[in-house]
Amino acid sequence: MTVRRIRNILRKEWVLLFTDPNSTVLVVLLPFVVVGQFVLYFWLAFRFGSEGMLGSPVFQTALEKLLQAIPEASALPATEQILVLLLNQFQFILLLIPVMIGIGIAAFSIVDEKLTGSLEALLATPVKTWELLLGKTLAGAIPALLMTWISAGFFLLVINLLGWSDLSRLVLTPGWFLSLFLLAPGVAILSFMLGVIGSSRARDAKDAQTIALVVILPILALIGIQITGIVWFTPLLTLVLGLVILTVDYIALRVAVRLFQRESITIAWR
Amino acid sequence: MAIIEASGLTRLFGEVLAVDDLTMSVEPGEVLGFLGPNGAGKTTTIRMLAGIIAPTRGQAIVAGYRTDQDVEKLHEVIGMLTETPGLYDRLSARRNLEYFAGFYAIDDVPGRVEKYLRLMELWDRREDRAGTFSKGMKQRLALARALIHEPKVLFLDEPTSGLDPEAASEVRQLILRLRDEGCTIFLSTHNLSEAEMLCNRIAVIHTRLLALDTAESLRRRFFRRKVMVELQSHDPNVVAVVRKLPFVQTADEQGTRLSVDLIDSEHNRPELVRAIVEAGGKVITVSEEQYTLEQVYLRLMNEEKASDSQAHS
Repeated sequence: MTVRRIRNILRKEWVLLFTDPNSTVLVVLLPFVVVGQFVLYFWLAFRFGSEGMLGSPVFQTALEKLLQAIPEASALPATEQILVLLLNQFQFILLLIPVMIGIGIAAFSIVDEKLTGSLEALLATPVKTWELLLGKTLAGAIPALLMTWISAGFFLLVINLLGWSDLSRLVLTPGWFLSLFLLAPGVAILSFMLGVIGSSRARDAKDAQTIALVVILPILALIGIQITGIVWFTPLLTLVLGLVILTVDYIALRVAVRLFQRESITIAWR
Repeated sequence: MAIIEASGLTRLFGEVLAVDDLTMSVEPGEVLGFLGPNGAGKTTTIRMLAGIIAPTRGQAIVAGYRTDQDVEKLHEVIGMLTETPGLYDRLSARRNLEYFAGFYAIDDVPGRVEKYLRLMELWDRREDRAGTFSKGMKQRLALARALIHEPKVLFLDEPTSGLDPEAASEVRQLILRLRDEGCTIFLSTHNLSEAEMLCNRIAVIHTRLLALDTAESLRRRFFRRKVMVELQSHDPNVVAVVRKLPFVQTADEQGTRLSVDLIDSEHNRPELVRAIVEAGGKVITVSEEQYTLEQVYLRLMNEEKASDSQAHS
């Protein structure tokens, strides 16, 4: 019954998602905007800033870590090593895609139902709170995750078109795949879960988005930590990080169920 | 055995008492009208009985389930029409129903959806988005949603509120049909004639339960049944004879009409007519003065206001 109910929520949420032009545009275009923008930054940094970066002690430390993690990169000229360093950040930059889609969509998921009055009718059905929240989370997280993977493919396509195809093998490391297939699902679920929590606690979508924004900060921190050479995320470290995020997902679901007060939601929203 | 049994049901919102010590029961197949002014606690009562909010004190058992403990099982057997239809405007009528049907153990969802779309006369518009529907159609669709799992008890909160007369009439006809099929209905409404037309019994609430009975019994309780006699012409002698009759309490004349308050309206009526005829009066019609449920309701509210002001002074 639980699987049937969650599938039921998924189907309904997807029809609503893809009949809303704003959400469709967000889901479909945002990933390409993110990829395009960051590839442009990398190109600019490589073209005009690599000499300066090589002189910086911060980037020298980061390059040392890169060469320890990917020894094949040591055969490249120094400026190309900088480019490999930048391109390797993309495994974390990709994580911004599900987060941004989550903030844009999940934040509205409960708020909208409160405002249109459908939530009270829904709460009079036998659906369990965790089924409702998980269904809504997966309904957003699955398309966001698919778009993240499509973006990864688009990124590889673009760097090949830019003539960096020989660098692709230095980007497609085990860490890259762990990031795509472990971190990205974990982050997608987490951002949608936080969006749904925000949505059930907030009075409007703006409040909910503010709550969901919290998840962006650790991702930016990950990028900052790696690019400045403080820590290099080896496959093992990425695996550990992924498992931590999946644990946090489970905790977030439990927290979301506790925070979702059917009574106060019904009374406070008219 | 009652299908709804509330005992000392009380709900406070902070310091504000929304429902006070509500004790009542509803029999299976009964349509109970729940009347009261805005803020009287009607919606709060429905929400407590439907297990959406918990009572501060007291308890209720609906269809055999405690509303504060067996919520999931309770939700399997109740249907609820909220004040606003709360439909998904971008979903078709069919998808709206399929979505809600998907939360219950229904074997043939498409068949059930078709049954209720046809019942609500929405089958031809099944693929249209709910957002394109008129208010009446939305309300019918919301009613279909509340019925899709064929609940034992149906809670209707202001089902005709905001509808035009034609749409309201359509919804009332549907409620009558459900009543005839034996569905227990708890109907909250502001519309007194609607309550009188649809309900077996009427409950009047103003935070606490003021009255619960059939409309006829409420009328008898609050108004004596006066007999109206229309005479061909005014005759002071007839009036004097009527006033002297031992079973007449009061007799007022208004032109050719006599309004007579009898000790026993049904048994004394023939004797009254005979006495008038013997006194030379020519009777055109004899009828009973009709009191509306509205008059009963207003009287109850006035009494409640008077007792409130007494309590405050």
